[in-house]
Amino acid sequence: MSLTRLRGGTLYDPANGVNGGRRDLYMRDGRLVDAEPGAAIDQDFDATGMIVMAGGIDLHSHIGGGKTNLSRLLLPEDHRGSGAGNSFGAGEESADGRYLRLPSCGVCTPGTLATGYRYAEMGYTAAFEPAMMPSNARHTHLEMGDTPIIDHGAYVMLGNDELFLQLLAERDSFERLRDYVGWTMHASKALGVKVVNPGGISAFKFNQRSLNVDEQHVHYGITPRDVLHALSRALTELRVPHPLHVHASNLGVPGNIDSTIATMDAADGLPIHLTHIQFHSYGVEGPRKFSSGARTIADAVNARPNVSIDVGQIIFGQTVTASGDTMMQFKNAPLGTPKKWIVGDIECDAGCGIVPFRYREQSYVNALQWIIGLEIFLLIDDPWRVSMTTDHPNGGPFTSYPHLIRLLMDKGFRDEQLAKLNPEAQVASALPELKREFSLYDIAIITRAGPARLLGLKDRGHLGAGAAADIAVYRDEADKERMFTSPAYVFKDGQLVARDGTLVATPTGGIHYVSPDFDHGIERTLRAYSAKNLVGNPVHAAISDDEICACCRGGSLLPVACLTAGT
Amino acid sequence: MRDWTCPFCPLLCDDITTIVHDDGSLDAPDVDCPRLTHALTWFSGLSANQPSVDGQDTDLESALRRAAEILKSTSRPLFGGLATDVAGVRALYPLAAGCGAILDHLHGDAMAASTAALQDRGAFFTTLSEVRARADLLIVFDCQPSARYPRFYERVLGGTDHARDLIFVGCEVDPAADIVENTSTHSILKDADPYDILAIWSALTEGRAEASIRDDTGMANALATLAERVSAARYTAVVYEPAALPGPHAALLIEALNRIVKVVNRTTRAGALALGGDDGALSVNQAVTWLSGFPLRTRVSIPTHLAHEPPLDHDPMRYRTAPLLAAREIDALLWVASFQPEPLPQGLADNVPAIVLGHPAMKRMLGARGGSTVFIPVATPGVDSGGHLFRIDGSVVAPLTATRVTELPTVAVIAARLSDLSDARSQP
Repeated sequence: MSLTRLRGGTLYDPANGVNGGRRDLYMRDGRLVDAEPGAAIDQDFDATGMIVMAGGIDLHSHIGGGKTNLSRLLLPEDHRGSGAGNSFGAGEESADGRYLRLPSCGVCTPGTLATGYRYAEMGYTAAFEPAMMPSNARHTHLEMGDTPIIDHGAYVMLGNDELFLQLLAERDSFERLRDYVGWTMHASKALGVKVVNPGGISAFKFNQRSLNVDEQHVHYGITPRDVLHALSRALTELRVPHPLHVHASNLGVPGNIDSTIATMDAADGLPIHLTHIQFHSYGVEGPRKFSSGARTIADAVNARPNVSIDVGQIIFGQTVTASGDTMMQFKNAPLGTPKKWIVGDIECDAGCGIVPFRYREQSYVNALQWIIGLEIFLLIDDPWRVSMTTDHPNGGPFTSYPHLIRLLMDKGFRDEQLAKLNPEAQVASALPELKREFSLYDIAIITRAGPARLLGLKDRGHLGAGAAADIAVYRDEADKERMFTSPAYVFKDGQLVARDGTLVATPTGGIHYVSPDFDHGIERTLRAYSAKNLVGNPVHAAISDDEICACCRGGSLLPVACLTAGT
Repeated sequence: MRDWTCPFCPLLCDDITTIVHDDGSLDAPDVDCPRLTHALTWFSGLSANQPSVDGQDTDLESALRRAAEILKSTSRPLFGGLATDVAGVRALYPLAAGCGAILDHLHGDAMAASTAALQDRGAFFTTLSEVRARADLLIVFDCQPSARYPRFYERVLGGTDHARDLIFVGCEVDPAADIVENTSTHSILKDADPYDILAIWSALTEGRAEASIRDDTGMANALATLAERVSAARYTAVVYEPAALPGPHAALLIEALNRIVKVVNRTTRAGALALGGDDGALSVNQAVTWLSGFPLRTRVSIPTHLAHEPPLDHDPMRYRTAPLLAAREIDALLWVASFQPEPLPQGLADNVPAIVLGHPAMKRMLGARGGSTVFIPVATPGVDSGGHLFRIDGSVVAPLTATRVTELPTVAVIAARLSDLSDARSQP
C-alpha cells in the first residue's frame, strides 16, 4: 500500500500525447496513480534530467516453445561462447542474501532465465511469443512462465492445421470456422492468432514446394488468400483486439513484394498485421536480381490504414532462424551457417524449421537486407503502425535493440555503419537520402505505446493514472545505444527490478490472453476430427485457468478485453 | 476415473479408465499394457510414507535437515536419476545451482546420443499424429517398439483405415504390429550390421547406383528396393529407438538416419520418429535446456559455491553418472525416482552420502550403507499429484492429474524446502 514517487523526470508518453514534459509520477499497489497532495511518500526516486517511458513491449519475439528450445539444443556453441562463464553481475542479491540471477546463458537463444533478466535490464517489461502451435501450447506457456520479470503472451498458429483447412475447403459454414478459431484461442490461452505462410506449411506436408497467394493448395484446393480472408474475418467477428498476425507467403524470395501486397489486400480492408516485413520486401532489380522493395512496401502500407507491421530488422553476426515455415526453411537450409538444421512436421498443426544464419556485412544480400529494414522504418509515415522488432532471434537477438534504436535516431551513425557494408549494396540503397531521425517520442511509439495499442493492452505502454507501473528511466546520453542498454531504473508493476543494468528483484511476470465468445458446439467437430487424425485425447486439449497458473509459476492472469461493438 | 493419463511411459496414453480402490490401489482393467500393469503393482495400496535417515524412521523435518546438511557440506554433488516431471525439475534447478550440482538422468546415455546427433547435424523429425494421419510407409529401424512401448501400434495407427506398409529393417517384425488393420508387414536384413545398413542406404538415397556398391551379401539389392519404396511413398516415417541402438556410437546411427530422411525430403516427404525419453527424461532435458541454455550433463553453480569455475559447464562425456561414480568424482548423490522404485546406481561407493527422493517402496531397497542415507518418499506425478510430462515425440506436453489422495509431498515441494534449508546465508 506504500506510495512511491519518481521525481523530476522528462516523460515521453505518446499514448497520452506527452512529448518531453517534466512531471513527477506516483505509484501505489503496482499502478500509476494521480498525485496525492499531503500523502506520505514511502519511496522516492530522483529522475531529474532523465528520460521516462513506459516499459518496453516487444510484440514479436520467439522466447518460448518447441522451436526455441530446439534452437538452444542445436547450438551449444552459442551458449558456450557467452554467458556460461560469467553471467553474474556484482552484488545481485536479494534482501535475504540470495543470488537473484540463476545460471542461464546464450546469445541468440538465451535460456528463459537469461531472457527475462536481459529484457528487464534493458527496460522491457513484456514480450510476446508469436508462434505458439496449439499442440505445443503447454510447452510454450511453461517456458514463458520460466522467463522471469517480464509479462508475456502468445499468438496461436492457425491456417495450416488440417481441421481449419478442411473446414475452409468444405466452404459450408463460416460460423463453424469462426467458432473453431475462438475455441483454439480459448484452449491455448492465446492473445492473438498468427498465420505462417498461409496454407504453405500444410502444403509442404503434401510435397508442395511453393505456394503463392492465389495458388491452390495441392490437396485442399484453397488458396492463401482464402485462409487470410477467413482468419481476419473470424478475428474481427470474435472482436479480438490484435489483428491477424501474418508471416506472409514467399519469405526471403526475391520479388516477393507482389505477394506481400496481395497478402495485405487479402484482408479486404480488415485489420491485418504483417510481421517481419523486411523478409518480404525484396525486388528483382539490378544485376543480382535482388533489390530493395522497401519503397514499394512502405507506399503500400502508407496507403492502407488497416495494415500494421513490424520490421524484423537484421543485425550482423551469428544468429539462428526458427520459424514455423517449414516450406521455406527447408528451401533455405543450404544457405545456413553452420551447416546443421532441423525441420519437423508437427501434429497436423504446423511444423518448425531451424536454420542457423550468420549475417555478414560483406555479403550483398545480407547488407541489402539490413538496408531494407532501415528503409522501411524510415519510409512509413505513421509510427503507430510500425513496431520495432528483429524477429528475435531470426533477424538478430533482442539484445541488439539499443543498437537499432541508435541506427534510427542518429543519421551520422547510420551512415558510418552503411559505409562498412558491401559496396554494391550501398549503391543499391536509398538510405543516404533518408534524412529522417527518430525522436524519443517516435521511439516511445514503436517500442511501447504502439505495440500496446496493437495488442489491446489498455493499461500498458503508457504512463497515465491507472496504468500498470511498468516504467523505464534512462539517463539522457548522446550515444543512444548506451542510453538504452541499461536504464537507471526499471520498475515492473511498481517494483524496482533493475538499477543501472543490475537486477534488484526478479518477480514472476503475468500472462496476457483473450477469451473470445464462441459456440461450444464446435467441440463435437473437434472430437470427430481428433478421433480420426490425432493421437491425443481431445478432453485434455484445453488449458484451464488453474493449469495456466501452474505453467506460469503463479504469475498474474491478465485477461485482455475483447473489443466492444463499434470500436 | 476416465481419460486418465498414464505417466509410466512416454506415450502418455490418455484414454485410460482407472479404478481407485479404498486402500489406494489402482486398476486399469480395460487396457492391455504390461508396462502399466507392472507399474501399478507398485501402487497396490497406500504405502507407509515415513522418511528415514540411515535406515531409522524419522519425521520429514529431521530428514530435510539432515539432507540439507549433506548438501551444504558437499563440493561435487550429482543429481541423478531425475525421474520427475516439469515441476520437479523447475524446483531442482535452483537447488542444484545452490550446491554446484551435476545434472544427469537415469536414461542419460540414450538422451546424450540423441543430443549429440542433434548438436552435430540437426534432425528431420515427425510426430505421432503426423504418422497417424499421413504415413503410408513406416520403416522401423533395428528395434521392437512394443517391447518398451506396448501400445505404440494401437495408439498411433489403431482405428484408422489407411493402407500402410510397415517394413522392419535390421530386425524381426514386431509381433505386436499385427493388430493394425489394412497394413502389411515384413522384415529385411534382420541380422545385418546397422552401420553397414545405414551406410549403403545412405549412399543409395544420395543417388549411388546399386551396381556401383561392392556387396556380396544382397544388402545393396534389398536397400535399393527399400529406397524405391520410399520414393514411391507419400509420407515415410522412420522409427527408431535411441536406447535400443548398439552403443557406444549410437549417435552416429541417429545422425545417419536423420541424414537419410533429410535427403529423401528433397524429392518426397518423410520424417524421423525417435522413441525414448522414459521416466521424465525428455521433460527434464527440455526444462534444463530452457532454464539454463544447455541440455543435461551440465554442472550448474551460483558463483559463491565454486568461485573459480563457470556457472554452467556442459560436458556430455565428463558428466556421465557411471564414470563419475566409478572415478569417485562426486561426494554426494541426490537420487530422484518418483515414478517407480529405481535402485541406487551401481558403482555408488558405500561411503558417499545419498539423498533419495523416491517412490515409497524404495525405502526397503536401500538397505544398509556406510555413508549417510536420507530417504524422503515423494508423490508420483499422475497418481499422487498433478503435473506435466513431455510426450515421446517431444512436441506435446500432457497434463497429469492425481488419481488418489495421499499426503506424499511432490519432488518440487521437497526441492524448494531443501533450497531454503541449504542456503547458508538464510541460516540464522
